[in-house]
Amino acid sequence: MKITIPHIGNMYVAFRAMFERVGVEMVVPPPTSKHTLTLGVKHSPEFVCLPFKLTLGNFIEALDMGAELLIQAGGPGLCRYGYYARDQAKILEDLGYQFEMVTTELFESKIVGVASLAKRLSGNAPFTRIVSGIRFGMAKISTMDDLERIVHRVRPRELHKGAATRTYREAVDAIDRAQDRRELKAVSREYTSRLNDIPIDPTFEPLVVGIMGEFFIVLDPFSNMDVEIELGKLGVEVRRSAFVSHWLKFSLFLNAFGISEKDRIHEAAQPYLKRDVGGDGWESIGEPIMHRHEYDGMVHLAPFTCMPEIIAQNIMPTIKDRLPVLTITCDEQMGRTGMITRLEAFVDLLRKKQEARRKDTGAERRVLSMGTG
Amino acid sequence: MIKIGIPRALLYYQYYPLWRTFFEKMGMEVVASDPTSKAIMAAGSARMVAETCLPVKVYCGHILDLVGKCDYVFIPAIRSIQKNVYNCSKFLGLPDLIKAVAPECPRIIDLDIDVNKSKVSLHPETYDIGRWIRPRPKAEKEAAALAWQAHLDYMEAMASRRLSALEYLNGEDPILDTQDKSPLTVALIGHPYNIYDEFITHRILHRLNSLGARVVTPEMAGREGLAAGVEKLVGKPYWTYEDEIVGAAGHYLDGDVDGVIAVVSFGCGPDSTMVDVVQRYARRPGVRPLLTLTIDEHTGEAGLVTRIEAFLDMVERRARRAS
Repeated sequence: MKITIPHIGNMYVAFRAMFERVGVEMVVPPPTSKHTLTLGVKHSPEFVCLPFKLTLGNFIEALDMGAELLIQAGGPGLCRYGYYARDQAKILEDLGYQFEMVTTELFESKIVGVASLAKRLSGNAPFTRIVSGIRFGMAKISTMDDLERIVHRVRPRELHKGAATRTYREAVDAIDRAQDRRELKAVSREYTSRLNDIPIDPTFEPLVVGIMGEFFIVLDPFSNMDVEIELGKLGVEVRRSAFVSHWLKFSLFLNAFGISEKDRIHEAAQPYLKRDVGGDGWESIGEPIMHRHEYDGMVHLAPFTCMPEIIAQNIMPTIKDRLPVLTITCDEQMGRTGMITRLEAFVDLLRKKQEARRKDTGAERRVLSMGTG
Repeated sequence: MIKIGIPRALLYYQYYPLWRTFFEKMGMEVVASDPTSKAIMAAGSARMVAETCLPVKVYCGHILDLVGKCDYVFIPAIRSIQKNVYNCSKFLGLPDLIKAVAPECPRIIDLDIDVNKSKVSLHPETYDIGRWIRPRPKAEKEAAALAWQAHLDYMEAMASRRLSALEYLNGEDPILDTQDKSPLTVALIGHPYNIYDEFITHRILHRLNSLGARVVTPEMAGREGLAAGVEKLVGKPYWTYEDEIVGAAGHYLDGDVDGVIAVVSFGCGPDSTMVDVVQRYARRPGVRPLLTLTIDEHTGEAGLVTRIEAFLDMVERRARRAS
C-alpha cells in the first residue's frame, strides 16, 4: 500500500527514510507550489486556515500519483489541526478518490503510536527494523537541522547572496539520498565544511531576529514566503526555537531534550497567559520576553484566523519588557512584495534602535546600510 | 452584598441558570450585563485585534459593560467538560485575554474547568469558589446541588417543552407554540451565543416566526438526538460544542423539518471546518435544504432578511410540491 504524508518543510526526508527502511513505499507529493495552493483553496472551506488548504492540495497531488493511504496529524487536544483529517477525508471522498486516511494521534501515544502505525503498514515488520527506521529518520532530521543552524549564521554575512541557500538545498537532496548512517555522516561532514567555507564578511555584525509563531507556518518556507531567506538578504541573522528535530523528539518521547526550553518559555509567559491555549500561542507570548536580552526583535508568523495566535496577538501589546514584534498573517491572499516591504521597515526600525543603544553606550556609530522605509 | 458579574455572551446562554443559582444561593448578588447593543459590540471590537471572531469581541464588550456594576466577574476557562473532547483556544484563554485587553475589568474569577487534567467539571461542587471569594462562602455545597438542579431543569425545559433558551431566560411564554398552525418548520442551528443574541443575528428567531415559520433549535433535539447526529456525520466529537452544529445538523437534516438554517460567525476556527462537513452532508439527495449564514460585525440586516425570505419561499414551494 503506497502511503503519503503532506509537506511541512523538509519533513518528508525523515518519513521517507523511516518508511523505506521498514519496506513501505511512500509517495512524496510534488513540492508545495502555486498549483498545490490553487487545488487546496478550490476544494477547502472558505475561511479555514492555510495549512488545511496546503495539506489538502498535497493530498490531491499525491493521490493523482497513486497514493492509497494518507497520513495526517490528529488526536484530541490540538487546535483546529486535529479536525483536518475528518473534513479532508470527506472532501477527497466527494472528489471521487479511493483511499484510507490514518491520523497519527502523536500527542497521546507518543512513540508507541508511530511504531505501531509503522508495524501495521509494513505488514508486521520486526520491531528492531521499525526502531532502526525511526532512528534513521531522526538522524536525517537532526543533520538537516544542524546544517540549517549554520545557514542561519552564514546567510547575513555571506559575500555572494544566495550561496548558503543554494548549498543547503543541495545538502537536503544529498541527505534524502543517503542510504545508511555511514553515508549520512559523510554528507553531514561534507556540507558542514562547504557551508563553513562560504566566503563571509567577518566584520559584519548582523541584527538578530527570532522567528516564532504557529509551527506549520514557521517551518514551511512556502507558507511563509521564505521569510528566513528574505531576512538573510536584509543582513539579519535568524534564530528560532522550533526545529523539526526538537519537535519530533518532544512529540515522540515525553521527557526529551527540548522540553526544558519550552518550560522556560512558558514560565516567562506566566504573568500574561497562565494556561496553554493550544497550538503555539503560549510560546508566542513567552519568546519575546525570554529572548529580550539576546535578540533585537522577533517576527511572529500565524495563519489567518489561527485561534491560539489570535489570543497571543491580543495579549502581546500589554507585555511591558519585551522585544519589538512584527506579526505577519499568512494566507493565500498574501503577496511577497508586501511582506518584503514590511520586513524592510521592521529591520530599519531595529537598526535605528541598535544604533541608539550604541550611542548610549558610547560605542562606535554604525552607518545604516539601508535607507529608511 | 458581594456582586458577581456574568457577561451576557458566549456561554451565558448555556449556563446562566446554573451559575446564577450557584452564586445567589451562596448569598451573593448576580448582575448580568445588558443585552448586546451597537455600543457594546463597538466597545469590544475596538479593544481587539481585527481578525478575532465576533463572539469574543462581543464578550469583551459585555465585560466593559459590567465595569463598575460588580465586585467580581466570573470568567471561567473551560478546557474540557467531556473526556478527550476539548474546547476552542479562545475559551481557554478567555480570562487572560480579558485581563490584557480590558485592564479595568473587576477582579476575575478565572476558574479552570478541565475534566481531563484536573477534577474540576461543570458541576459547581468541584469549583471551590472560596479560592477567589473571601470570606469563604459557607453554603457552597448546598448551592452547588441547587444550581445543578436548575441547570438540569433548564435543559429539560428546552428538550421536552420545546422552549428556546431565550424564552426560558426571559421567562416568556413560548413564541414557538407547538400547537400553532405554521405550515413550515425550520431548524435554526448554531452556537447559542450566535442564534440567541438578538443584536448580532438581528432577531432571527422572531423574524422567522413573523415570516410564518415555526423554529426549532439545537437544544430541542435533546442530548441523545444531538449525540446521534454527531455520530452519524463525523463519529466521535472533537470539539466541546460540536453538537450545536454537527449534531444538530445530523439530527435535523434528515429530520421532521422543512429546512435548516446554520448560523456561523466569520473567523470561528471550529465552525470553519464543521460547517463544511454539514454542507457536504446536505448535498446528498433526499436531505433537507440548508442555508448557511455567516455573520460578522458588518452583517447588514437587510441582506440577512432577504436571504431568509428567499430561503423560506424555496422551502415553502418544496413543501407544497411534496404534498
